[in-house]
Formats: sequence, structure tokens, C-alpha cells
Amino acid sequence: MVIEKMLNSRLAQWLDERSDIVKLTRAHLTDYPTPKNLNYMWSFGSLAMLVLTIQILSGIFLAMYYKPSAMMTSGGYSVAFDSVERIMRDVNFGWLIRYMHAVGASAFFIVVYMHIGRGIYYGSYKGPRELLWIIGVVILLIMQGTAFFGYLLPWGQMSFWGATVITNLFGALPVIGSFLQELLRGGFAVGDPTLNRFFSLHYLFPLLLAAIVGGHVHALHVVHSNNPTGVDVHEGKGTIPFHPYYTVKDAFGVGVFLILYCYVVFFHPQLGGYFIEVDNYVAADNLQTPSHIAPVWYLTPWYTILRSFENKLLGVIAMGASLAVLFLLPFLDRSKVRSARYRPVFRQMVILFFISVLVLGYCGHSVPTPTLKLIGQLATIYYFAFFFMLPFVHKFEKTRPLPEEI
Amino acid sequence: MKLKQMMAVSFMLGGLFAALPGHASEGHGVALKHADIDVTDQAQIRRGLTVFTELCMGCHSAKYVTYRDLIDYPETSLSREDVDDLRGDKPLIAGMVTDLAPEDAKVSYGKVPPDLSLIVSARRGGADYVYSILTGFEHDPAGHVPDGNFNEYFPGNRIAMPDPLSWLGHDAADTADLEQQALDVSAFLAYISDPHQNERRAIGRYVVGFLILLTLVFYLLKKEIWKDIKH
Repeated sequence: MVIEKMLNSRLAQWLDERSDIVKLTRAHLTDYPTPKNLNYMWSFGSLAMLVLTIQILSGIFLAMYYKPSAMMTSGGYSVAFDSVERIMRDVNFGWLIRYMHAVGASAFFIVVYMHIGRGIYYGSYKGPRELLWIIGVVILLIMQGTAFFGYLLPWGQMSFWGATVITNLFGALPVIGSFLQELLRGGFAVGDPTLNRFFSLHYLFPLLLAAIVGGHVHALHVVHSNNPTGVDVHEGKGTIPFHPYYTVKDAFGVGVFLILYCYVVFFHPQLGGYFIEVDNYVAADNLQTPSHIAPVWYLTPWYTILRSFENKLLGVIAMGASLAVLFLLPFLDRSKVRSARYRPVFRQMVILFFISVLVLGYCGHSVPTPTLKLIGQLATIYYFAFFFMLPFVHKFEKTRPLPEEI
Repeated sequence: MKLKQMMAVSFMLGGLFAALPGHASEGHGVALKHADIDVTDQAQIRRGLTVFTELCMGCHSAKYVTYRDLIDYPETSLSREDVDDLRGDKPLIAGMVTDLAPEDAKVSYGKVPPDLSLIVSARRGGADYVYSILTGFEHDPAGHVPDGNFNEYFPGNRIAMPDPLSWLGHDAADTADLEQQALDVSAFLAYISDPHQNERRAIGRYVVGFLILLTLVFYLLKKEIWKDIKH
């Protein structure tokens, strides 16, 4: 009711005649026809937008106090590390802003991985939503880059050595490798120039992200939402307006998310070393390598794929391929049926795929042992096998009958 | 039904995190002693501060904690007079830095003693680690490491810090007193590693409580608005 009143107000009409704002709001928000059977797995898209907003806002305030300089200060610390501690100790509610940002990074990946998993399980990547999916993969890559750049900024031991290990990978590439590595580092080793350029990129990438998320939502509204049955629903039958049905459902989802998020922010902001690693409370020291270097949890599945190969170049190629293959997913899967609900073989495959990613993540986070290495290699094999099998599954898979309507 | 599914998913995720071995369990095998401390206990934190300034600060600093902070933080709230006694001729806004020069420390101990502002956050096991180290000095069973440099809980057992509480060979009558000093200073260090932690937890209760109520309202609203939709 309130929204109807606002959209019919004289101010809104005046704006509408000059900008289409009311028509756009009706078409894309209030009256936007949405399948009536979306389950709570569809909440993660709006949650991802919420976390992106939290990250950008908290990040803007952190940048007011943060100083990207590796210049040494007393006690073996640096200007950057000191400025983070000043935020934690002296800035009013600085601790809250920083913990929101640090926990938000992990929350962002949890939410986005759930969102991607939902897209794979219910076949949301399949035609006509291929471009929507591809834009989503671009978003994932930019997110991973943003997180990687951001993790260097506190200039702790894990920041420094994590960045050293990852930038080393680029050095393994033939011909352009060493050029690329020096370009990223701004020198021959990770140092002050690296910190400065990573800070600049860490500020740039989220703005790109916000723009591309706009494209993602636009592409969604052209092809419309998939739903758990994977059956196309057209305007009218089977759809309900986004407002109030999905605004209130998403509001409930946001509430549940915020309870969990705030619980972590206020009571376990390091989450036992998973969200902020213990070693990152030690100042960066280029003469002392930590006993165990691992990326933060959300990058560990890809780190395991990298470590599964004895040859460094092969590992780097496999890691790149494991992300690049996501772009091809819509074209590899030839089945006419979208949702795993009606595809018994695909359903088993995709559940095993999710398990393999979790196993990869676990292996990448742990201290390497021969057993874990073997388990990681098996999970790597399945990760790629999933994509190799996809083009052939529809040839022998007996799909269950689809419902006529939802 | 849907709500149950979602709750099941969140429980599974929570269980996953709980089941994964934490960092604390990695490393050198010896189980740490549990430090039964209370970072909200002003008396304990003040006693720990005394141990810190009279003993630890001979070599160690806590540069992120200023003398001014000791007045301002409710967990210490020292009087101006007490702080003036502690700081001598150092400025009020100076961090608590040891008078031992890094060069001299290197000569005496072979390395510069680490700053302790963040030691509890920066070590696996946190306060348990600090407490265990302080009460972990023993004779080396193999007889290689000189007394005062052998510590049961230090990775590799050979520690540069020479037994600060004189734990090794203490009289049985002093055990309780030494343990109390180790506990108190562990509590102080745990507190200064994140000096707004008590405020954070206090605010957190209201935030999470409010969100639970708000979410309940959203849930009822959702049920009401959706009651005519068959899906």
C-alpha cells in the first residue's frame, strides 16, 4: 500500500515523465512476475547483493583510516599493520567496521557459493540463461581477485606469504610469466609497491563488481528466473508479483542471514582462525616463512587442484582450467531437462560434485600429508570428470516426467 | 517444511565448521594447559597488568596499549596517579614500550623479544598457550638444552626467553602463587589483544536478540502474505 502510494505520488509522476523511474520500478521490482514456487535457495541472490553493499560501505570507512605502507615501525610492525590496529583500538567502533568487513568477506563467499550451487543443481545455467550464467562466473572471478588483493592489506604474515605464493604462480607461466609476476608485485618481491597497487585494485574491483552485478540483474530480468522444476513459466499462470511476495520472503531470508552474520561478528569474529587467520596477527616478516601457508578457506578448493600436480605449470593450468570450465558449463550440458529433480543421473553427479568441492576445500586448508594429497587428487579428478561426463549424460539418462505447470 | 529444510542446511554448515579441525589442534602435539581466566574481571586484569609492568616489560613491549588507555579502558580504569607512577617520564599517549634496547636484547637473548600487544591473537591456543609457556619450564630430559631454556610447550622446546616466573625448581609452597601470576598476566594479555571485546559481546547480545525478534516478525508476515498462494 505504501509503495503504491509512493509510486502514484506527484513527485514520482514528475520523475517518471523525465526518467521512466516508476515504469522501471514496476517492471523490475514491484510487479516483476516471479515463479510462485521458488524455494529458499533462491534467497541467496538478494543476500549476495546485501553483503556486497555491506562490504562496499564498511570498506569505504576503513579506507578513511587505513594506510597502505609497508614502512617499518617499532616492534617489527609496519605503518599498514599499525593503522589496522589503530582502527581496532582507537577509531570509534572501528573494531565493528573491521570485523564486519573481515567476516563479510567470508559471508560473501558462503552466500555466493550457495547461489552458484543452486544454479548448478536446478540447471539455471541452461538456455536461455547462458549469458546470465557467464556474467555470474565473471562476478566470481572478480570477487576472488578482490578478496586476494584485500587479504594483503593488513600486512600480516599470511597476507605477505599468501601473496608471495599466489604471485609466484604467475611466474610459472611460459614467456609472459616473469613479466606478469613483476607487474603484479611492482618489483622482484612482494613489498611496498605491491601493497600500494593491491590497495588501489582492492578499491577498484568492487566498483566493477557493482556495475557487473547490475548487468547480471538486467540479464536475469530479460530471461526471467528459473524455478525448482526447471519448467518455463510465462507471465500470468504460475507467477506472482515480486512485491509483496518475494520482498517479504527475502526479508525473512535476510533476517536469518543477519542473525548468523552478527553472531559471528560479535562473538567469534576470527571463527577459530577460519575467517581471520592466527598468523595474520603476526607482522609480515620476509625472513621468516610460517610453518604452514594456506589461502583463506574460500580459495582452498582451487589451491588443492594446484597442489595436486607435481609440475608447477601443470598445476597452474589445471587451476585456471577448473575456473575457466565454468564458462563452458551451459554448452557442455545438452540435456533438455533443467532441474536435477527430474534427472536422476545428473542429480547423483552434481551432489558428488558438491562433495568433491568441499573435500578439495578441506584438503587445501590442512597441513599437507600423503593421504590428504591422494584424496585431493581424487577429488580433482572427479571435479574435471563431472564436466567431461556432462555432454554424454543426456544420451542414456531417463528423465522423469516434467509437470505441466507449477 | 521449507523453513525446516533451511534450518537443516544451516545446521549442516555449522556442523561442518565444528567438525573441521581448528588451527589450535595443529602443530607440535603437546596439549596445552587450560587457562581459566576471565577477561571481564577487573581485579584479575589489574593484577595481570602489575605482573606485566614489573616483570614482562623488562624485555617485552605492548606498544598498541598507551598509558592513557589504562585510564580510559573500563577493564583497567587506573587513576591518573597510578598511571603517572607507571609511566615515569614517558608521555601519557606513549605506548607501553620496554626500556631494553633491541640491540641489547639481541646480545643478551639472541633475538628481540616480541611485542605482546597481540600475542594471544597471534598464537594458536591463545591464552592457554601463554599460560602453558609460563608454567612449562622443565629440565631437559635429554640434557641438551640448558635449564631455563627448555620449555615443554614451546614448538621445538628450545625457547629464548629464560623462565620469567622462576617456575623451574620453585618451592611446592609457591606453586599456587606462581600459577595465579601466570593466569593473571594471561588474562591481561588476552584482554589487550582485543581491548573492545567485552563491549563487543555486550552489544552483540542486544543486536542478535533484536534480529531474532525482527526475523520472527518477518516470518509471521511472510506466512500471512503467502497464505493464499498454493505452491
